[in-house]
Amino acid sequence: MRHMVVDSQRRTELLRGVLDLCLLAVMNEGPAYGYEMTKRLRDRGLAIVGEGSIYPLLGRLERDGLVETYRAAGNAGPMRKYYRPSSTGRLALAMGVSEWRAARDSVDAVLAQVKVEVLHD
Amino acid sequence: MTDFVAQCRLEWKRLGVPEPLAEEMATELAADLSEAEAEGVSAEEFLGADARSFAASWAGERGIVPVPAGRAKGRRRPFALVAFTAVAAIVLIVTALLLLTGQPRATLTASETPETHHQLPAVTPFGSVGTGRHVLLLGNLAAPVEWILLIFAIVALGFAVWLWSSWGRSRPPGVSA
Repeated sequence: MRHMVVDSQRRTELLRGVLDLCLLAVMNEGPAYGYEMTKRLRDRGLAIVGEGSIYPLLGRLERDGLVETYRAAGNAGPMRKYYRPSSTGRLALAMGVSEWRAARDSVDAVLAQVKVEVLHD
Repeated sequence: MTDFVAQCRLEWKRLGVPEPLAEEMATELAADLSEAEAEGVSAEEFLGADARSFAASWAGERGIVPVPAGRAKGRRRPFALVAFTAVAAIVLIVTALLLLTGQPRATLTASETPETHHQLPAVTPFGSVGTGRHVLLLGNLAAPVEWILLIFAIVALGFAVWLWSSWGRSRPPGVSA
């Protein structure tokens, strides 16, 4: 049970640093409102809940000028606030993806050599 | 308006979020929550159980209000940091004043020496060396205590600045995969 908690914490920590990139990436596919982005992320296996909701992160991206927003009616629904990357945001996304790939490759190079024999009682 | 949004409104009001911004966030949230609930996702599943914490976090990250300090393990940290910074600043000011005013009185070693030439007194970190009646403060052994305190205070203030900058980096939201 305890190792499951540790696994979950590690996964959370790993994703924390790249969640802004994930948001920029999904809105780069097309402008999206908050809930729509959570659905796009969920479709790829990322469920975001609670205080880890995307709204504070979207707020920060907006404050930092990495996203632009506009209002439009959804599919015959209420007015929604849509987000899309600004030019600065697209640059940050490109750089972030490059950094992520470099980090991932480095970690892969280390972890790919690991051979662990697990003994069960 | 759902209960979750109502709680957020209360929190934004308490934090002093301007009404137009609070209205904008509430409208955005209400529309998203409505869609989520229509798809069978509850507000709690979507946003968590703590509406007020969520609201404060959102307003903080938007830069409308200071980022809430109570998140994660840092509830006491700002107070400790404030106290640490204040103590370092007070020590710095007091020691600087002591050194500038010469209080408490430094130990003086005065000696009468014949005046051989005229020149202005030279000032050193530990006092001044005069000519003429040659009042010698160079041997002041009381001053180093203040200088050591001053150096410690400067280092402590530098450390405090570093801590504040670390603390200022707001934590990104958590996720679960």
